[in-house]
Amino acid sequence: MPSLPDSPPPVPPPVPVETHPNRTVGVKSTPTAPRALPDPTRLAPEDAYYTSSVPRARPTATGYDESLRVLNGNAASVAALRPPPAVPVGSRKVRGTSRRRRRKGAWKKLLWVKQSYPDNYTDTETFLDHLQRNPRVRPYDFWPLVADSTVIVQHVSSVAIFVCCFVGIVQGRVSPVSVVCWGSVGTALGWIFWDSWILREHVENAHGAERALEGDDGSSSSSMTSSVNPSGTSSRANGQKEHQVHGLGLSMAQGDSELVRRHSTWYVGDAYGGQEPGSPGPSNGMFNGSPEPDMSTFSSRNRQRLSTVKSAFLIYFALLGLSPILKSLTKSTASDSIWAMSCWLLIMNIFSFDYGSGEGAGATKFPASLSTNAAVMASTVLASRLPSTTHVFSLMLFSIEVFGLFPIFRRQLRHVSWTGHVLLTLGLVSVAGGAVGITLRGGWAAAVVGCILGSILTALGMGGCSWWLISLQKYKNVVTGPWDPARPIIRRHWD
Amino acid sequence: MPYNIAMVSDFFFPQPGGIESHIYQLSTKLIDRGHKVIIITHAYKGRTGVRYLTNGLKVYHVPFFVIYRESTMPTVFSFFPIFRNIVIREQIQIVHGHASLSSFCHEAILHARTMGLRTVFTDHSLFGFADAASILTNKLLKFILSDVDHVICVSHTCKENTVLRASLDPLMVSVIPNAVVAENFRPPEPRPMPRPIAPNDIITIVVISRLFYNKGTDLLIAAIPRILASHPNVRFIIAGSGPKAIDLEQMLERNVLQDKVEMLGSVRHEEVRDVMVRGHIYLHPSLTEAFGTVLVEAASCGLYVVCTRVGGIPEVLPQHMTTFAKPEEDDIVLATGKAIAALRSNKVRTDRFHDQVKMMYSWTDVAHRTERVYKGISGDISPEEFYGYYPGQGWEAGRDRVRSFALIDRLKRYYGCGVWAGKLFCLCVVIDFLLYVFLEMWFPRANIDIARSWPKKIHQENKRLGNPDKGDRLGLAS
Repeated sequence: MPSLPDSPPPVPPPVPVETHPNRTVGVKSTPTAPRALPDPTRLAPEDAYYTSSVPRARPTATGYDESLRVLNGNAASVAALRPPPAVPVGSRKVRGTSRRRRRKGAWKKLLWVKQSYPDNYTDTETFLDHLQRNPRVRPYDFWPLVADSTVIVQHVSSVAIFVCCFVGIVQGRVSPVSVVCWGSVGTALGWIFWDSWILREHVENAHGAERALEGDDGSSSSSMTSSVNPSGTSSRANGQKEHQVHGLGLSMAQGDSELVRRHSTWYVGDAYGGQEPGSPGPSNGMFNGSPEPDMSTFSSRNRQRLSTVKSAFLIYFALLGLSPILKSLTKSTASDSIWAMSCWLLIMNIFSFDYGSGEGAGATKFPASLSTNAAVMASTVLASRLPSTTHVFSLMLFSIEVFGLFPIFRRQLRHVSWTGHVLLTLGLVSVAGGAVGITLRGGWAAAVVGCILGSILTALGMGGCSWWLISLQKYKNVVTGPWDPARPIIRRHWD
Repeated sequence: MPYNIAMVSDFFFPQPGGIESHIYQLSTKLIDRGHKVIIITHAYKGRTGVRYLTNGLKVYHVPFFVIYRESTMPTVFSFFPIFRNIVIREQIQIVHGHASLSSFCHEAILHARTMGLRTVFTDHSLFGFADAASILTNKLLKFILSDVDHVICVSHTCKENTVLRASLDPLMVSVIPNAVVAENFRPPEPRPMPRPIAPNDIITIVVISRLFYNKGTDLLIAAIPRILASHPNVRFIIAGSGPKAIDLEQMLERNVLQDKVEMLGSVRHEEVRDVMVRGHIYLHPSLTEAFGTVLVEAASCGLYVVCTRVGGIPEVLPQHMTTFAKPEEDDIVLATGKAIAALRSNKVRTDRFHDQVKMMYSWTDVAHRTERVYKGISGDISPEEFYGYYPGQGWEAGRDRVRSFALIDRLKRYYGCGVWAGKLFCLCVVIDFLLYVFLEMWFPRANIDIARSWPKKIHQENKRLGNPDKGDRLGLAS
């Protein structure tokens, strides 16, 4: 029954069986009254841009329930009708039919009865009265929409930063080793934060498990974090800013191996982190810090660190060994093809990237493989344009950090601290703007101009696109009715 | 006044199916009423050219390129020359297209309007509005139906759907249900006194449906173990095949129900009755259904019907023959339980179902009602009578319903189809018209022979021969 949302039993049946509920109600009162008025309990698309008072699903669970209830309508609103322009509905005709009905007996919406009405008779009271327009539309608010668009801005900015770094390396303005070092330092810092968040989450999960565990893990943990530790957000935000400044990376050279270890720790940590929100119980002690007295968790943590180091070295040496091959990979290809190809691959990366918030079940999930693969391939073909093995190695490592690890961190940061997320966005946008400025013109003045210009343009773009999306809502016209295939409700699967 | 009618559809015998048998039965009954009916369809494998079926029903199998599931390639104009030839040869007055997924039918309606013929379209299915395929189909349907003279739908829900999809005037849409050949769906033949069902008798539930998602096979899979667990003296017979058959079999193996559930695989349409009469209850958990002919067939066989309340199903059978359920697992289990209890208490007089169904649905009645549509569009019934029924109400809305053949009027109607689509459709219609003019010059009407009609029989003879035993070789009713 597609037209019926879950609603209490007194709902009238979707299609009349003997006589129609609308008829018995509608004929006795004035028949035109119920259809002239739009149903107040159901949202029309106009609500999306005329009002902003409807509670959005985001803030709290009760607000969500409330809005769902409003959106789905209640029993009284099920039989609401908004006639489409194709249906000639007028008071004149309604009067005519009601007079005739007295003469002939009521028309029934049944096929097995021989009726005295012609086959093309259209009953104005019951015709299309199970039509629903926009039964489940959810209006957008401006600011939440802008807030959600920061995720896209972040990713586009990091892609821009990567491209600018590559251009800098190719033009010889920036040493590739310094780029990768700054990137790796940032990665390491990011991992430290990430690790500490996971730790805290586990401690809270453990506490939460002692109390009755209620609500969903993702939201509760984030709210608890902010309430328990109000000062934590600012420090985290500072670290965040540092991190993204490092991500730009201009002049520093040291310690690759440590950094590689860090980033591969993320891989492993991610593999563990991916499953922990679903199963808080068994993985509780996994990330417990060393000050914890529990010896078993301590050793398990160490074991995990060891495997992280192992895989880090594996990746490091694999990359090192592959670099000479990658360097000559596209020697026979013209540079133009490489630019075009990498351009398309990066566009593919941006469009297929998994921008989902990852709240709930899929928290800290690894991003969609298509976008990651596209990005790695783009950086591979770009790296093959570079002159030396060191260059190739550095760029590949940097691309893994930017496209493989940074998204995980961003997602977790957004999950944990909204302030940090906003600050990271601001930082990324300004750094990307500055980098583009330097790439195009050179010089610090250009960087400042690019930074300011980039920020302004991004802000305008975010606001403009959000406004555009909201203004497009008035074209939304979802029509549902008894002709739609029903969604079967199956309580439990047989397996 | 007898008409010369051409039924056009992609779907016709030898392919089995509900639309095919609808076309065949309707044509036969119209011939019985003294009309001349031909059927135009595309060539099937091993079947090309002109064939005669029972009763002098002439079938043109036009060679055409088939792309997907016996639907022809939608080339807007390529069908026109041969269609014009057939129409002139057979002196056709009314072109009646079937099925909204048949591009053959759409093209025929377009060309028929260009040639100045009256057109009728019968819609057999329900479409949503959400997915891309539906949007495309709906746009095409709007194109074709913006100039059609009348539309027939098989249920009131189908009418609402079609009116919305093609932006039609509801008074131009008639509801004429499908029917069954009740003689082919008789209850078990040696009919002594109907034996009351004892409390411990086995009750057999029959399910005959293609095992697809939209036939509700998932619901069936979920419901069967629970029904069998709560009612030990119940057996299932499931006929039909499809992609969900493997899930069904897995469920049987997992729950070790092989001795209680019999799976027959796909059965031919003429065997459906033999399967049905083995049971007491017919369970139909479909998720969408425009009419549900199989329900009528089951009731005609004397089965109590349990079905989901979706699409046009609630209109089809009276309440005392059916138990309705929501398309939910729990509700289907509940409704089946109620049906079993009702049968066990011998409250349901299933032995009377056959005669009742015979009164409700017959192809003769369908042909009669279709004939009224033909009369209405060709002006034998006055438009006031056909559309109006508002005496003294200033009947101005009906003026547009009588579709004029003037090209400019047709273009006006097509132009309203959409901002871009309207212009595209107008272009198509203009090209079609030019093609028609060209064909008239190049292959003049005078050079086309007129086919001799099948000799008409006397009405009494027709009545005796009226029940066709051949022809509906259907795998399964849909």
